[in-house]
Amino acid sequence: MIVTRRRVLRIGGVVLAGLAGTASGSTGGAAEIAMRGNEDGSDVWYDPVGLHVRPGQTIRWTNHDAGNAHTATAYHPHHAGRPARMPPDAVPWDSDYLLPGESFAVTLLVEGVYDYFCLPHEPAGMVGRIVVGSPPVAGPPPGDVPGVFPSVEQILREGSVRRSRTAAALRRRREHFVASCIS
Amino acid sequence: MRTSLAVLALASLFASPVLAADGVAKAPPEGEYRKVSELVKLPDFLPGLGQLYVDPATLPAGPFLAYDHDGSLVSTIYMLPVADLTNKDKRFDDLAAPGGAVDHVDVYLNAGHPGVEMPHTHVVLWHVPAADEVRVAK
Repeated sequence: MIVTRRRVLRIGGVVLAGLAGTASGSTGGAAEIAMRGNEDGSDVWYDPVGLHVRPGQTIRWTNHDAGNAHTATAYHPHHAGRPARMPPDAVPWDSDYLLPGESFAVTLLVEGVYDYFCLPHEPAGMVGRIVVGSPPVAGPPPGDVPGVFPSVEQILREGSVRRSRTAAALRRRREHFVASCIS
Repeated sequence: MRTSLAVLALASLFASPVLAADGVAKAPPEGEYRKVSELVKLPDFLPGLGQLYVDPATLPAGPFLAYDHDGSLVSTIYMLPVADLTNKDKRFDDLAAPGGAVDHVDVYLNAGHPGVEMPHTHVVLWHVPAADEVRVAK
């Protein structure tokens, strides 16, 4: 792996590592999430959008979108005033903008459901969900947007959930997008 | 003879393409334009658009001036937030258009990016033929 910049922070229940540069070779067991966009920039998404990991497993986001910058930012009041949608005793993270080819990693230690978003692309529905361990599930997490976030049950069942391309899912995302634009 | 020359001169005037204003045909453009990748964290060359310059005072609409790898102007782009386009009280008037003759126009949605974070519409005035869009394809 070639790394031109690296920073690692250990704060309570989360470990952060920002990596910039060209990465190659072993992934070291990290769970990978790609940041993607289509050719004209009209559509952006995380792939997978839902991921189940074990406590202490590293998750790494890499920007594979040649024409845009993206972030992986935890839903938390520290970040653009968003509501907390993560375990209360976990520490929020923000990757800052990642250019094409750049990566950012966190290691989540506290079991629970973590929702995150891309700062410039939340209105476009670029959000994701990570389930750490096997937390008790009691209905949708606060602030859930069905059709935009995969359900916790589906993530636990399938391990990794890619964005749905069904007509119903596309319609729900379009409705969410329009509501975000005109609100 | 004099009349013929005058007609010829007039005809040639109208037949000439409208040239880009002085100072914007080649990168970097003169005036208050700044390279977008130096204003916000974005790739220096955006596939499909090229290398962008904008006067920060005109954000978010622009115009953005887009250049190919040789530094030649290929398009002028306006970025119009979707929320503004659905707001009857919002208008975009008298946007500058320094790029000269327009060959064709593309209009499409963009999900947002640093600098213009909200979903918006790209209105692209191409100053080159469609076949030459490949100059900024990647």
